[in-house]
Amino acid sequence: MSGSTLLALSYGLLAVFFFSFVFRSVRLARLPIHLRWELAPIPRDGKRAGYGGSYLEEYEWWKKPREESLVSEMAYMLKEIFFLKALWEHNRRLWWFSFPFHIGLYVLTAVAGLFFIGGAAAALGWPGPGFGLSVLLRVLSAVGCVLGAVGAAGLLVSRLLSGKLRIVTTPVAVFNLALLLAVFVTGGLAVLSVPDYAGYGLGYARGLFTARPLVGVPGVYGAHLVLVLLFLAYLPFSQMMHFVAKYFTYHQVRWDDRPLEVGGRMEREVLDLLSQPVTWAAPHVGADGRRNWVDVATEEIEE
Amino acid sequence: MKKKLRVRDISRLGSTDLTEVDPDALLPLPPPYDTTDGLPAWKELKPEARERMVCDLDGVVALSLPKPESEEEERKYVDQFVSGLQKLFTRENNWTFLQPLTLALEYCVGCQTCSDACHIFKASGENEVYRPTYRSEVWRRLVKKYVKPGGRLLAPLTGADVDLNWTAVSRLYELAYRCNLCRRCAQVCPIGIDNGLIAHEMRKLFSQELGWAPRELHEKGTVLQLEVGSSTGMNQVLVKDNIDFIDEDIEEETGLDAHTPWDQEGADVLLIHNAGEILAWPENPGAFAIILNAAGINWTLASEDIGYDGVNYGLFYDDVQLARVALRHARTAKKLKVGKIVMGECGHQHKALMTVADRILTGDMRVRRESCMTLLEEIVFSGKIKFDPSKNDFPVTLHDPCNIVRNLGIVEPQRRILRYLCPQFREMTPHGVDNYCCGGGSGFAVMSGNNFTDWRVSVAGRMKFKQILDAFADQPGPDVRKYVCAPCSNCKGQIRDILQYYGALEKSGITYGGLAELIVNAMVDVKGPFIKWEMH
Repeated sequence: MSGSTLLALSYGLLAVFFFSFVFRSVRLARLPIHLRWELAPIPRDGKRAGYGGSYLEEYEWWKKPREESLVSEMAYMLKEIFFLKALWEHNRRLWWFSFPFHIGLYVLTAVAGLFFIGGAAAALGWPGPGFGLSVLLRVLSAVGCVLGAVGAAGLLVSRLLSGKLRIVTTPVAVFNLALLLAVFVTGGLAVLSVPDYAGYGLGYARGLFTARPLVGVPGVYGAHLVLVLLFLAYLPFSQMMHFVAKYFTYHQVRWDDRPLEVGGRMEREVLDLLSQPVTWAAPHVGADGRRNWVDVATEEIEE
Repeated sequence: MKKKLRVRDISRLGSTDLTEVDPDALLPLPPPYDTTDGLPAWKELKPEARERMVCDLDGVVALSLPKPESEEEERKYVDQFVSGLQKLFTRENNWTFLQPLTLALEYCVGCQTCSDACHIFKASGENEVYRPTYRSEVWRRLVKKYVKPGGRLLAPLTGADVDLNWTAVSRLYELAYRCNLCRRCAQVCPIGIDNGLIAHEMRKLFSQELGWAPRELHEKGTVLQLEVGSSTGMNQVLVKDNIDFIDEDIEEETGLDAHTPWDQEGADVLLIHNAGEILAWPENPGAFAIILNAAGINWTLASEDIGYDGVNYGLFYDDVQLARVALRHARTAKKLKVGKIVMGECGHQHKALMTVADRILTGDMRVRRESCMTLLEEIVFSGKIKFDPSKNDFPVTLHDPCNIVRNLGIVEPQRRILRYLCPQFREMTPHGVDNYCCGGGSGFAVMSGNNFTDWRVSVAGRMKFKQILDAFADQPGPDVRKYVCAPCSNCKGQIRDILQYYGALEKSGITYGGLAELIVNAMVDVKGPFIKWEMH
């Protein structure tokens, strides 16, 4: 693949990634507020969170200031993000593959970030990395690829061989893991076979900022870059967006125990939702497409 | 069969069951419950019943769904199902749970962490049909195929291989009632996927679009409650009569004031019991009356509207019914101008009125709501009542109602009371927010059609029974009387059925009851023991 083709492909696929990622994330964020559906423990509850207690344990809780701990919440999130705490505690066998898989992804994401920063700096005249930074980028990439490949291969094999995983495994789930395995393997091969690994990476990133194609991209490096770009473009449409979804499942479902306040923003939002027409067809609902939620919910109490 | 089961088998045609409960595979229980000898046999479904009702999931019939009389009728239901499925994903029809449902359906990675957390799946011997993800995956594939744009075209790629037919629809209806909605699976999910919510949404679709719901929850549940005042069928005259009888009996028995004030405008506390207590466990409302009077609380019960029955089965199957019941509870409190509603010992009442309905109690329907656990704790440690914990010197363990503990985070108040008043209190393993459901959750405790009670007790309640036995393992014989404190009406009903089924009072000396009863039993001023060591 020529450098120009790679550059054009990069712009196209990165644009798909960026806009789809934003669109899908915003779509989740803009889903309407729902009925309360919290689930203990809620780490924000500070010292109570250790055993799963909530502010509802307080006698006349509405008279007392709520004790909240951002530190507890952050600690929980960091343990979950970086150590996959829930999997460690409840599904240890899978954790041994899932943990390196995710750490591999994090490391490669960090490396990509460094390449982009370096590329931007190079576009502004930075002469390029010294020996130390080159080695660091190479080592980090190697670590990320090895961890990711081990994890992805392990997860793939588990998914195909384990009866309990296989029952819910779809072709898409296998494809997702295979795609990532390919990303890790080609990345690892590029680290091993391309002497100026860091230089090519920075050159590619600089090219994105300057629109100057990289010349003479080694085949395995090009394959790795194309796979990364394809993965990124595909990511927003896949279950792998669960890292975004997880924010909402935790913060807006499990941990959202905010009571409604009269006159507040939440009440206005709910009143707006309650004014929508209902079309459920069961006779007891009493919907006709014009009557709204308030109408159908209060018909029994109209004097 | 279970190892070969595929997700798409849900729509496999035929009159045979998709699976069956294998008695030999069930979770083992400790002696003397390690054998089925002497246990009541499962109720046989008569051939004519099988001919009349849908029975092709697991040999169990919870819902008595009549078989359609023609293929045309089958097609009508399938079409209605698709219509309902689409409505579940619209803002106007399902804003109530659209975000949690979307998240649960689109982002599960199939790691199966949830499976080991499910008491039904584990107790059944890991029957694949009861795996939390089985139900959800069927649903997910149907949504991909029949709701998403281009779903049928992309089905071979997305793995959406479940065909929609009458068999799938009717099996899914039954399958929606093989989950207690306890949300233990959601609690362990690394991503926060909620399979319980998916089952809940399935139930909603059937109820709100097709008009299908268990008779015990709908006709005999919310509909009866909204018409008469209570799902027990008691109207306000009957409930007052019953409470009068209870007050008299309890006063005679204890020598204390058990008078229940009715409809006291401006009372600090409007106590709303699950009305099932009044009929099945009258000692519980009686105990509350003694405690509140002894503590000098300005309290009342409400006889108007539905104010004397905290039940809200809408929580389990229908958002519209949930809202109707919750709004009428709030309206009763507003009319009486009370300071707050206090939930009686009823888990789903707690969850329905304190949290799930919280955001629809807007404007002048806003009323303060509190758990009886916190009020009882406040009273017990206030010094207003004298206690003698030695009166409760027998082994006591605590069942954590999922709706109060895991779903509301009310964990410690009841424990602080038990640690203070019950010298031999011991925890189950696991307990608190990690507890196992009793198996009666989400309405199961009041559902008893056909052979469902057998399944509910033998499979859904099996893990809880094992926990109870394990908690008392140091004194297993019937000579030592033991008490399972279950501060929830539905849980009590389920635990009663479990203990009766296995003869646990006779074999192990285990009985059950609420928290208020233990408090009254420990009161210095109560003459004689309040707790009766009998199965009732």
